[in-house]
Amino acid sequence: MSTILEFDNIVRAYKKGVPVLNGVSFGLAEGEVVGLLGRNGAGKTTLIRIAMGLLYPQKGGVHVFGLSPTDDPVAVKQRIGYVSEDQILPGGSSIAELIGFHRYLFPRWDVDLERQLLDRFGLSRTAKIKRLSKGEARQVALLCAICHRPELLLLDEPGGGLDPAARREFLEASIQLLNREGSAILFSSHHLSDVERLGGRVVLLDQGRVRLDCDLDEVREDLCVAVIPKAWAPNAEALERAPGCLRVHLIGDDWHAVFSGAPDEVSKRLEPLLGTARIQCVRVPLEDLFIELVGGKHAAVESGVSS
Amino acid sequence: MRLFVHPSGDLPLYRQIMQQIAEAIAGARLKPGDKLDSHRDLAEQLVIAPLTVKKAYDELEALGYIETQRGRGTFVCAKLPRVSIEKQREQLRASARSLLSEAYLSGFDYNAVLKIIKDADAEILRGRLKEIS
Repeated sequence: MSTILEFDNIVRAYKKGVPVLNGVSFGLAEGEVVGLLGRNGAGKTTLIRIAMGLLYPQKGGVHVFGLSPTDDPVAVKQRIGYVSEDQILPGGSSIAELIGFHRYLFPRWDVDLERQLLDRFGLSRTAKIKRLSKGEARQVALLCAICHRPELLLLDEPGGGLDPAARREFLEASIQLLNREGSAILFSSHHLSDVERLGGRVVLLDQGRVRLDCDLDEVREDLCVAVIPKAWAPNAEALERAPGCLRVHLIGDDWHAVFSGAPDEVSKRLEPLLGTARIQCVRVPLEDLFIELVGGKHAAVESGVSS
Repeated sequence: MRLFVHPSGDLPLYRQIMQQIAEAIAGARLKPGDKLDSHRDLAEQLVIAPLTVKKAYDELEALGYIETQRGRGTFVCAKLPRVSIEKQREQLRASARSLLSEAYLSGFDYNAVLKIIKDADAEILRGRLKEIS
């Protein structure tokens, strides 16, 4: 499979000396779906804008279909679809006018798909954009992003601000696109159940770097959290040195340590280190795992130790 | 047959699908030779990625429960795999031990567990009746 999108050691700061992205590398293969996770301010939007050619990286390189999105903007954008939470559509136009404009821009525009999506979303061509609800406007944005059958779809928090029903409709349309076109999708989301539905791989950004890059099912099956009474380990570093440890932080009177490995196996691995076999290791849902990996206030201090 | 998935459940989605199909076969709600939805159709019904459904089907196929016939679709195998009885009994004993210890830790006694097993049996059978009616 060929690489559709490649981030190579991307560095980007908005304020000098405070990089939002500090050496981010990963790629998307043809037809691959990647969920981009991270806390607010982790750099998800920045990274997606760099892929769109809307921002330059200050260091490192980005390649979309093997091209540079800033040097070859037309060739790249013809094959990309993009929807973001804060996308601004021309309020004074009707849906028909906006679609007409996109048809003109994209020679590969699929009129059948356009009609299907309008029916499905129950949108009228004559409706003015500014009269649409937030959910409807996002649906129009999705329609404009996928009717030219893009090979890569970039979705920046596509469900943000939508009610659950509108979010579900958006997901349904994305799944159909996956079924029909096999497009690659990079999407950021705070709705972890949506991430599970769209599936594929997850990339977790934290402290300007990729903290986790792993198949979603592996995340669910091969990571677990060990809960260790505070007194059993002298400090976080002692636990961080244990093989397979991804992160340690203190919650109440317990260390919570995220390990790669199945619970039984991790428990055995910790036995010689802590001198006891009674270590509770559990698999946790994606949402809890996210909190275990990037939650808490002392993240900055910890990263100073581990990096 | 209707499947359900719970994105924040204990199991990854592909495992949830595997479990429900295996259970339907065990309860004879799906019989040898029955056709399953294509993985794309099921993906749209469940609103999950087609690759996730494909993974569940692939794993079930590797286990010998279902088979894909090129150009025709996916079917429940005419001959379901038979694990050696001894091996199967050993596995069931292990599951029973973990079920019982979980129950005893939460204060249930043996008879209460038996009742739970009977209820579960009834549920599997009821699922079967629902399909017939």
